[in-house]
Amino acid sequence: MHSLKPVQTQPFQLNQQNFQQINGFEESTQAFRLRLEPIPLKPMRQESIVAAVDTSTIKIGETSQGIVIAVRGADVWKQNRAYRYVRLGPFVFHITDENKKEVYDALERSYFNYSQEHNHQGAPNFLQMPSRIASLLERWMQTMLSKTMNKGLILFDGSLTSGTPDTPTQRLKDILSTARRRGNIVLAFSKMTNLRVNGHVITDLLPRAAPPYLLETEGLRLKPPMVLLGDVYVARLTTGNCAFRLDIDKEVLPEIRIEATEKLLGNDLLSQSYPETLRLAHILCTFTANEVLAMQHFVTRRYGLQIVNRPDMHRLLFGPFGKGESYS
Amino acid sequence: MKLYKKEGNVLQILSFPNETVEKGDYLLVEDAEAGRGLIVQVIDAQFASIPGVLEELLRSLPDGGELIQGEDVDPLEIAPHITYIQDASLLICKIRASIENENLSPTSSWLPSRSQSTIKKLPLPALLKLAKIDGKLPIVLGGTKDSSLLAIDASSLDGRLNIITGKKETGKSHLSKLLMVNLIGYKATVVVFDLNGEYLSLGMTGDGKRNAYYDKIHVLTPSQNFKLALKQLNLHVLLGILVHALHLPGTSAREFRRIWQALKERDALTLHELGETIRNWNCNQHVRDALFSRYHALVNSGFFTDNVAEATLLEDCLLKAKEEGSGIIINLRNTSAIDRQIVVEYVLGKLVDSLTSWKLKAVFLFAEEAHLYLRETYWDDIVTRMRHFGIFTTFITNQPDTIRENIYRQADNIFLFNFTNEHDLDVVSRAARVDAETVRSIARDLPPHHCLVLGRVVRDFPMVAKVKALDVKTMGETRLFFKDSN
Repeated sequence: MHSLKPVQTQPFQLNQQNFQQINGFEESTQAFRLRLEPIPLKPMRQESIVAAVDTSTIKIGETSQGIVIAVRGADVWKQNRAYRYVRLGPFVFHITDENKKEVYDALERSYFNYSQEHNHQGAPNFLQMPSRIASLLERWMQTMLSKTMNKGLILFDGSLTSGTPDTPTQRLKDILSTARRRGNIVLAFSKMTNLRVNGHVITDLLPRAAPPYLLETEGLRLKPPMVLLGDVYVARLTTGNCAFRLDIDKEVLPEIRIEATEKLLGNDLLSQSYPETLRLAHILCTFTANEVLAMQHFVTRRYGLQIVNRPDMHRLLFGPFGKGESYS
Repeated sequence: MKLYKKEGNVLQILSFPNETVEKGDYLLVEDAEAGRGLIVQVIDAQFASIPGVLEELLRSLPDGGELIQGEDVDPLEIAPHITYIQDASLLICKIRASIENENLSPTSSWLPSRSQSTIKKLPLPALLKLAKIDGKLPIVLGGTKDSSLLAIDASSLDGRLNIITGKKETGKSHLSKLLMVNLIGYKATVVVFDLNGEYLSLGMTGDGKRNAYYDKIHVLTPSQNFKLALKQLNLHVLLGILVHALHLPGTSAREFRRIWQALKERDALTLHELGETIRNWNCNQHVRDALFSRYHALVNSGFFTDNVAEATLLEDCLLKAKEEGSGIIINLRNTSAIDRQIVVEYVLGKLVDSLTSWKLKAVFLFAEEAHLYLRETYWDDIVTRMRHFGIFTTFITNQPDTIRENIYRQADNIFLFNFTNEHDLDVVSRAARVDAETVRSIARDLPPHHCLVLGRVVRDFPMVAKVKALDVKTMGETRLFFKDSN
């Protein structure tokens, strides 16, 4: 079975997407610079709730009319030295060319109360549907966190770039302003970045200083309609060579941003510069192969859907040299 | 259940949580299109290798081994499906027979359809019927897991070599008693070498009353109610005792033969005369010493007497048993190792005599911990020569390595109780009528009083039964220091 192919060969995550903004649109300009003077950080033990959101989507099969996908989101927070989570889903959708707009509009309306006229982006194309639905769920969960938490740290997976098909600027602005009103700070960690200075990825340009520290960037301009709602830093929070792009809400004062990062250091575990809360959110929303099997079992049992067994053209044509189709 | 894989005579079947199948169960794999089926037995149940299970387990323990607390909002109720997949099991099954038109054949060369075959549990009564495990002389061993009775045919013990083995206190003696009383009930002659006095009260109920077998159980206790007069003995039986039990050298044995002939001619076959004759016999001093030491061993055993009235003839007991069937219990409790060997040597010699001369048809011999009294050469004798005379032995032991490998190879039936020790299981699995995996896998998990029956009695379909209770007085209990305080 096409969707089970990766399950049989284990690296099933080929087809899985933990939703994160792909910042392929972001291109660093000549003006973009990385300040190599580290801003040293000192863990601040003052009790703060650290919460993180992540979502994941996976194609669980193909039908003769379309695809069956599943989406799941996880909220993880650390409070009183214990991690807690709420996991939403899996939500299973049967997406066809005919129903994709209807499904997407219905979800958008129910999550964000936007009318169709308000939705300038329209329904995504068929192949983008899984990540777009996951994106909707993720933004809704972020909205809920920003509305319910007080004086906490909210960790996003990805950057604070808006104006992309996934992230309308107004939606991200609303999330950030709600968070600010309640005294929350949003810290957005990107596992990958395309931002380069002198040809080098910014997270590779680490000065010889003892972590934890932040490196500031300046002069990043995005092509319209994209808008960057945060300031970009390189965060090296633990020893080792790992560093991440960290976007912090632009509207927050620089010293508060530093303080928020120090609170994160004092309130969460960090491994390889990455916060445990965000790591757990990722782990908890990710689909395992047996869950894929279970969801296939569910759709065939509950809805009688016949999952189509399509041959893998890569394998068919190239034999052992065919590495399987990538989901793109 | 779904057919997954076949390797040799091992079939792997995928089973889901709502299908309750356990080790030892029989399954029928039916290929309706081919009109054939396979009878397989589950010898192990494993977790099916479901991809992603490790990740699933790992992510529930991310915080230094402490479970992360949380809530799952699962509106579509997919979690039960996840559990269903995760809990799927892989049944490792041994092909026992193939079936076509209700006829069984032991072949496993045929491969049923993976997609079309149906798999269902085969209840034991149905298997017993298919395998024709019944007969005119049923011995009910006990109940099976599906509440049916497992009965074997007494005739399947006839002419066979049997082994009852298992850990201490798992019910071996209980089963041997059960077999014994049933054989006696079918008028068979049963001789028991009772090492611990466990069979002495076979004729009594648990509350000390006489039971149906009371008149058929004869307990012979050496030097008490079981004594021999030299006059009643054949020379070769006594020589057997001297040579095999008391290790008399050949030269001395030749002198003894002469002494015996001399005494017999004088009609003076008494212990006293024997002692005097040895003392005065004209022979090498070393030979005399050797004969004297054996003579004293015979005297000290208390097993021999000059009083013919006091002597019990084993032959008489055997002849009585021939008509109505009976159990002759040779009580070896409180008997020294040497005396034990003297008694056993005598009994076996006498049995061979009686069988050779057709005074007896056949004898079922039950030997508990036989390594403690059976001389080396008798092992081969018992499984080869004596079997042709009509001695059908059942060995009972909790130390399976004390029975020689060739005995296992030739054993027709094995009644196996729980063993956990790998070495013990290895020894038993050398039996020709059973595959090692079945023994290792099933015997290890047998609860007390449950017995895995292997061999001819079950037509080579290994079956597990809980040995039924027997209303006989328990003897041979371990003496306890703290018994009263408990």
